[in-house]
Amino acid sequence: MKSIPRSLLAAAAAGAVVLAFAPSAFAVDADAAKQLAKQNNCFKCHAIEKDKDGPAYHKVAEKYKGKADAEAKLIHHITSGEKAKFPDGHEEEHKIVKTSPPHDEAQIKNLVQWILSQ
Amino acid sequence: MDNDKQPGFFKRTWTALNRPSAKYSLLALLFVGFVSGIIFWGAFNTGMEATNKLEFCIGCHEMRDTVYQEYKETIHYSNRTGVRAICSDCHVPKDWTHKMIRKIQASQEVWGKITGYVDTPEKFEAKRMELATKEWARMKAAGSRECLNCHNFDAMSPELQKQTPYKKHMKAKAEGKTCIDCHKGIAHHLPKEYEEPDEE
Repeated sequence: MKSIPRSLLAAAAAGAVVLAFAPSAFAVDADAAKQLAKQNNCFKCHAIEKDKDGPAYHKVAEKYKGKADAEAKLIHHITSGEKAKFPDGHEEEHKIVKTSPPHDEAQIKNLVQWILSQ
Repeated sequence: MDNDKQPGFFKRTWTALNRPSAKYSLLALLFVGFVSGIIFWGAFNTGMEATNKLEFCIGCHEMRDTVYQEYKETIHYSNRTGVRAICSDCHVPKDWTHKMIRKIQASQEVWGKITGYVDTPEKFEAKRMELATKEWARMKAAGSRECLNCHNFDAMSPELQKQTPYKKHMKAKAEGKTCIDCHKGIAHHLPKEYEEPDEE
């Protein structure tokens, strides 16, 4: 059996390393994300820079900075109705973000990435 | 001579209508007038109610292809309890006087249909902010009257409503606000130009 050339193996390994550590190539559509946030009344409890009943998006982005599971955690948070803690300490189910058409994962992902980019 | 001239059509009609009947009794005339009145009133209101039906509202593609599709994804169309609010429940007053005023205003929409004011989705999108702003102003001026046909601050239960919305509702009530002050774009998409207060 013919062996794979060493140079090819090295190139493949280098490629894998680059892919593993490269920043996310997801291009955020900020207008679409803000529009979805508006449609879902997110700004009733959140703002970009300041805390309201919910934390500022800037603060959320800081909290999840560099964490590999940030996107998955936030997607779960805004689509599952899990409990959210309020400033007075009480807990309430977080509103489930709805998209049009319904259950459009790409729109949810875009919104989460926009929040993480604040 | 001028005196020999025949009176005109209107004058002859008026004279005929004004002349007391020599053939029919007053009772017969009153009865015919009463029955005709009932038929006219019934037909008028039936026609008016027909224009309040969902099917009438989405009879034109301007509504069917845009706001109707958006409304179908909202809680006012489909929900746990099966109570549905159709177009006229929110956009047409229930009481007769306000309904008539709204219907007369709505005759402008017929002109809009004829002239193709929003006859493509692109035109509708371009006018969405203008159209929504007008409707929000109407709702605001009416104190969210149509919302209040089903919703009421006093009927909100602190046990059954989540704590945060309940607190906000009670604050809004104390401040004299009504539904439309906070709840915009609940059955249709918000216009792109709309900015939520305190967004930044």
